[in-house]
Amino acid sequence: MICSNMNRRYFIFGLSGLASCARDSRPRLNVYNWSAYVAPETIPAFESEFGVRVRYATYESNEEMLAKVITGNSGWDIVVPTHSRIESMRAAGLLASLDHAALPNLANLDPRFRAPTWDPSLAFCVPYMWNGTGIVYNKSLHPAPTRWADLWSPALKGRLTMLDDPEDMLGACLKKIGRSFSETDPEQLHRAESEAIAQKPLLRAYLNAEVRDQLVAGDVLAAQLWSTTAQQAIDAAPQLAFTYPAEGFPFYCDCAVILRESRRVELAHKFLNYLLRPAVSAQIVQATRTATANGAALSLLPEETRNNPSLYPGPETFARGEWPHTVPTATQRLRDRIWTEIKSA
Amino acid sequence: MKLREWFLLPARAWMAVLFAAPFAIVLAYSLMTRGDIGGIAPPWTAESYARLIDPLYLTILWRSFVMAAVATALCLLFAFPAALFISRSTSHRNLYLQLVMLPFWTSFLVRTYAWLFLLRDTGLINTLLESLGLTHAPLPLLYNDGAVLLGLVYGYLPFMVLPIYATLERLDPALVEAAADLGARPMTTVFRVIVPLSKPGIVAGSILVFIPCLGAYLTPDLLGGGRTVMVGNLVQNQFTTARDWPFGSAISMALMLIVTLLLVLFLRKESESLV
Repeated sequence: MICSNMNRRYFIFGLSGLASCARDSRPRLNVYNWSAYVAPETIPAFESEFGVRVRYATYESNEEMLAKVITGNSGWDIVVPTHSRIESMRAAGLLASLDHAALPNLANLDPRFRAPTWDPSLAFCVPYMWNGTGIVYNKSLHPAPTRWADLWSPALKGRLTMLDDPEDMLGACLKKIGRSFSETDPEQLHRAESEAIAQKPLLRAYLNAEVRDQLVAGDVLAAQLWSTTAQQAIDAAPQLAFTYPAEGFPFYCDCAVILRESRRVELAHKFLNYLLRPAVSAQIVQATRTATANGAALSLLPEETRNNPSLYPGPETFARGEWPHTVPTATQRLRDRIWTEIKSA
Repeated sequence: MKLREWFLLPARAWMAVLFAAPFAIVLAYSLMTRGDIGGIAPPWTAESYARLIDPLYLTILWRSFVMAAVATALCLLFAFPAALFISRSTSHRNLYLQLVMLPFWTSFLVRTYAWLFLLRDTGLINTLLESLGLTHAPLPLLYNDGAVLLGLVYGYLPFMVLPIYATLERLDPALVEAAADLGARPMTTVFRVIVPLSKPGIVAGSILVFIPCLGAYLTPDLLGGGRTVMVGNLVQNQFTTARDWPFGSAISMALMLIVTLLLVLFLRKESESLV
């Protein structure tokens, strides 16, 4: 039943009839976020506290989200791109600038995320959750892998997977030869390609989150994986462990932004400020097993979560991490070609 | 407007909105330049098509054709006897037809995932083989071309069975009897009488299987473990990680063009051979 008072007259009046039969006149905020990135209570609690409705939907990749918001007329108010996309989204004029006066809870941010390289004054984004890419492995492996280079060991043949993601996969090869994740030099990129092609015969497959079950089942002994996904596997199978490779590795921070097309900027700020509450953030962390950029939330977390070395690496490990940024078009094109060459090798 | 025209209007509107318009958009995109975060930007250029003439992409295209052709041949091999059996059965014909179509009740994605659980090291097949003592180590059933072919044949088999069944059902049984009366053995009857007469169904089924197999991206991704790329994956990749919509559109257009040309040539040859 769409509307209890719908009668023939409203039906004849068509659109005006439909408008008058809208169930709910509360303002509506449109939030488009990664899947499994809030706690079940997060959205309903916001709706009841602020007397609003939230249209909430999820995506699985930055590209899926970008394909919609690129039109500038997507109907979303808030999206959560990865940090490396912020700069180009800003350059494309997709982002609204933030009013810090409406975001007092920014003070709760972890100091490491108060002036990030991708948006030093937080003019456009609020760091939300972060994770890194490393190696998850079965503790029966001796010696345990500690470097990317260990994933080139013939002993792992057929029991090893790498991510089906050009940035991360090629990135690991670049780190192995001592280069940056955001390398643009064609010669170095081709060297990384040779590394990838040399490793391919050892690989079982290129898999993303779906490797989780095979790690738990013991089919796969070592895998390149994101720390959050790895932690979910470790929770299910204590024989697994996670390590951030010695050569360096990437961190990714997903950041909430308000789109310039938004017509509910004030409400959107209220939502961002709500997400920055320590209690809300802690609740989300507990539900999703990810790492929050909210420093004040940490004290509300159980000690074993707060000190979990894969979710919250210590200062030494943290310093080895790199925050990849978007590479120029020409490099992106070369990287995609290299990726296709690796896949068809 | 004549009455006939009015009745054709829904079909024409359907084709205009769901075929012609998207086709025009893809064509336009293929002639533009890549935007920084995806999407498209001016100026107009044919550069994406020029990039296609490259051994790397042509090899992928060729391999996709081979995979699709092998999958179609395997489908035909399995589908023909099944269709013949169904058309000859008397009491349970409808039940058998329902069974052929039964998989469509479940999403293709879910069914492909189910194969992952059957084929993996600790999956049903390997566990069974090992518990029977037939193997001592898991067979590598997943993440190779064989698994991709299996997935394609499994997914598109009904599209081969149904058209062949449709022609066999209309086959005049008197012709088969006549062959037998003239002394043909059953196998001879099948290959000299039934197969030639069911050619329209075989052709329709082969087209229905070959084209979706050629564009498949889900099956090579899930069952092939991303170790090989088919042209469908190449297109998908341009719209996702590579953020190169014009190139993705150009590959799609080229693929459509090649398939259409092949189809036209093939059907023309067919109609000549019938004359």
